[in-house]
Amino acid sequence: MTVFNPPTSSDPHGKEVFIRCRNVSKSYRKGKTIVTPLEALDLDVGRGEFLALMGPSGSGKTTLLNLIAGIDSPTTGELWVDKQNLASLKRGQLTAWRAKHCGYIFQLYHLVPILTAFENVELPLLLDRSLSRKERHSKVAAALDLVGLANRADHRPTELSGGQEQRVAIARAIVTNPGLLVADEPTGDLDRKSATQVLDLLREFSSEYRKTIVMVTHDAVAANAAQRTLHLEKGQLVEQVQITTSEPTEV
Amino acid sequence: MKWLALPGISLKQITRHRFRSALTVAGVATGMFLYTAVQTMQHSLAAVTQSGADDNTLIVYRENRFCPTTSRLPEHYLLDIQRIEGVSEVIPIQVAVNNCGASLDVITFRGVPPESLAEYNPALTVAEGSFEQWRGRTDGALVGENFARRRGLSPGDTFEAVGVRVYVAGIVHSPLTQDNNVAYVHLSFLQQSSRVGLGVVTQFNVRVDNPELLHSVARRIDELFASDAAPTNTRPEKAFFAQTARDLIEMIAFTRWLGLGAVLAVLGLVANALLLAARGRIKEGAILQTLGFPRIAVGLIMIWEGAILGLLGGMAGCLSAVCFFRFKSFTLGNEGLTLALVPNWNVTVSGLVLAITLGLIASVWPAIVASTKPVVSSLRQG
Repeated sequence: MTVFNPPTSSDPHGKEVFIRCRNVSKSYRKGKTIVTPLEALDLDVGRGEFLALMGPSGSGKTTLLNLIAGIDSPTTGELWVDKQNLASLKRGQLTAWRAKHCGYIFQLYHLVPILTAFENVELPLLLDRSLSRKERHSKVAAALDLVGLANRADHRPTELSGGQEQRVAIARAIVTNPGLLVADEPTGDLDRKSATQVLDLLREFSSEYRKTIVMVTHDAVAANAAQRTLHLEKGQLVEQVQITTSEPTEV
Repeated sequence: MKWLALPGISLKQITRHRFRSALTVAGVATGMFLYTAVQTMQHSLAAVTQSGADDNTLIVYRENRFCPTTSRLPEHYLLDIQRIEGVSEVIPIQVAVNNCGASLDVITFRGVPPESLAEYNPALTVAEGSFEQWRGRTDGALVGENFARRRGLSPGDTFEAVGVRVYVAGIVHSPLTQDNNVAYVHLSFLQQSSRVGLGVVTQFNVRVDNPELLHSVARRIDELFASDAAPTNTRPEKAFFAQTARDLIEMIAFTRWLGLGAVLAVLGLVANALLLAARGRIKEGAILQTLGFPRIAVGLIMIWEGAILGLLGGMAGCLSAVCFFRFKSFTLGNEGLTLALVPNWNVTVSGLVLAITLGLIASVWPAIVASTKPVVSSLRQG
């Protein structure tokens, strides 16, 4: 059983816009001052593209990632993800949208500590009423197999290494077969070998399964794994690096 | 959303935080044990003091006397009472107790004419030993089963209490719980051995044909002996208990506050445990919301946790209280009357329901805390 439906040859590979931000700003009040981490940002990301966001701390990377993931809402502007304007959705609608369309990978994995790897990966599937228990278990097993942790299904997070925890988190992010994966410094807490494994997985999801991936990173080596790298500074895009080769870059 | 999956997640939170859960359940169990114990006392008291439409028994006592050692009535009153219209049966009873005051371990002898006992109390059944042996032996005693269990008595044993030495001829069981906590002996034997003298009894138990005649018969009995040397005070059995055992009733009424205290303690304990858990799991709630769990689901996980903790603690507390009362056979005695504390399934079930309700109520605020924290700021926490 596979988790994803592989793209068909008729897909407009790399051409179709999957994420479109127009004049997106985000402001919030901190004490008496208003902070604006993102200001009038425009951005297009193609379907199946693997995009890296880089920039100094406080540049608005994570804020943009949270907006794209539907965890937060822009103050102004439009943010479209696959024909859905997230800016128009209310909190409850955003939650339902996330459950179906977006997988989130955190820097610190954020697995539920009392649950086993299997149960952590199963969590998002509990939201789908149409799935039987058998189907759910089959999907979880396939996702864990895909990240190479089928033999660690019964282990709790405390019994796993950091790299393994992150791979469980990736399995949890992909198990619902979302079109979008967002990753907030997914290799930030990992050694180089584990980081390579995680980046290989992300590239595989982008190239083989046409998942659109937006990854925030401070690590230039990790950014090299992406097809395109954007730099953010003070809430603005300052530079775009387009990687033209379709072959994954060696990490 | 598979809402039925939420109790499973809550159960995992409980079973995989064993130490914390065990402490909370132990606290709830202690509170619910106390609550059930108090309710058992209240219920047992209500059963013997709240009059019903079918009550047909009167107690004839010496006027202005409240203790069996001071209530002395001539046994020959029996014949006069029997002649009153509406009276179906009368039995003279001599009561001897080791303690007239309120006590947890009272020994009560009831001296009755051996030929009248079976007729007066047909529900009394001999569980061990022999009724015939009791009738044939003047120092024989039919010991109530709770009394026998408490004292470790069996047929053939002899024991001495209140200065009276008796032979255990049988162990009896009665649906009236008070009967299971006394020893029936021959009236003449008790009159002599307790030195009140032959022809003197403590009280008459009078049964009337029709419950509606209860008060008129009582009035006629008291009128009959009003000018006698030993005037009487006749009351329905339950009213007699309620008036005579006033100390006991006041004491038990006070325990209501203990019950209320137990309920509040359970509420505070579960709320505190869950609030601490909610605060420690703010990030976990944010993760679930990031995965697509609605806020209400995050709150419901907490609510279910409260309900399950309440259920587990309630089961442990209420059932241990039932076992405690069943196997310890406690009897409160006052002025020669005995109040058996009998576990009751209504009390137990209501205790369980209350424990679950308290768990639910206690989890509301923690659920609000867990489900309303903003996701983005919660994810940033440590």
